[in-house]
Amino acid sequence: MPVRLIAISAGTYYHIESLEAERYACLFDDVIAPEQLVGALKPSDCLFVPCRTPPQRMIGQSSVVAAHLDAGGTVIAMGESRSDLWAPAIVFHERPTNWWWWLEPDADLGNRVTAPSHPLMHGIGKDDVTWHLHGHFDVPDGATVLAEDLAGQAIAYVDDVSTPGRLVVTSLDPMYHHGSHFMPATTRFLDKFLPNLKAWMNG
Amino acid sequence: MTVLVLNSGFAEPSATVRSHPAARIVSQASLCGQDLAAATGFVTGNLLDQNALLAFKPDLEAFLDRGGRWFFNGHIVRPLLDGLGIYQPMAAPKRADFTLHQLAMHPIFDGIALEKLETNKGVAGFYGRGANPLPAGAVAVTGLAGGTVPVDWVWLRVRGGRMFSHAGNDLGQMGLEWDLAPLLQARILDWAAGGPCLCA
Repeated sequence: MPVRLIAISAGTYYHIESLEAERYACLFDDVIAPEQLVGALKPSDCLFVPCRTPPQRMIGQSSVVAAHLDAGGTVIAMGESRSDLWAPAIVFHERPTNWWWWLEPDADLGNRVTAPSHPLMHGIGKDDVTWHLHGHFDVPDGATVLAEDLAGQAIAYVDDVSTPGRLVVTSLDPMYHHGSHFMPATTRFLDKFLPNLKAWMNG
Repeated sequence: MTVLVLNSGFAEPSATVRSHPAARIVSQASLCGQDLAAATGFVTGNLLDQNALLAFKPDLEAFLDRGGRWFFNGHIVRPLLDGLGIYQPMAAPKRADFTLHQLAMHPIFDGIALEKLETNKGVAGFYGRGANPLPAGAVAVTGLAGGTVPVDWVWLRVRGGRMFSHAGNDLGQMGLEWDLAPLLQARILDWAAGGPCLCA
């Protein structure tokens, strides 16, 4: 039985464009509102919470998220949604967005992939995780860091240790930009990350 | 005179909104048809849950039919009203396509040089990258791509009411470099409260 990829949609234009347009729609088995989560998940499901989901929508579902992880399920928490407020064991350090780093001569945001052989990161290079920084995480002991910023702080990681389930956390916000038709690196990231996720869940 | 300001996000609206005498802030989760029935203006932002608002389509139509004004920020991706089309991004835009052209005079932009909205730190592309299609009877206020892509328009509905569409991030947060955001936000609320619209 294939693992189902269940995406949250907050009904924003960028969620609707990213989750329903032809490019990625076939990768998601269902798209539901946060308030429809109760009773919607099987333990084998992967819950995908896209970036810039207004946090209050998920805070109201924190018990569902915790129960899903306790049952062995997987949760993918993308950036700018304050996942630390609705998913367990996340310590987030927000920072002012550095919109303008690339205006400096020879600029390098410094983001890099630290686990290029991880199934989630196949084919994803430095340029594909480079647009903005929104913050970093304290990583639980035993978790796997997927990408970090210039200071070596985690901006994406996989936590298989804090709960019986699996939690993938990032501060990257590709769906907002892709869904706004803005920032090609975010589309390149999603072109790899979403099929990687689907393959990894069914591997 | 009540302007319903729909808050779809986590943060509270700006001080300009909170202090405007006509503004009544309502979280989208608590929106009900009576809110629209009691309002004369309506302002929505780019975090709008369009799936949820679609359920209020009859209320929105009735609100406008009796002369209401709706200021919409963002990309239209659901048929929220009869006569609206789905957002169309510009295909492979070049720098010149982001030059903002004034197509009609509107009090919201009165005295504001569009160059101050067109770029941020010299970078273009933040204001808008496409348009919500112009409904029949609408007037384009500003345009991209040589003025052919109506990023801002006002729709004077035959059945009544007016809708202002800004197809980008919230117009009331634009022009930060020039401290124009509070002025734009106040003018948006003034317009939604029944202030002057298109200038002769």
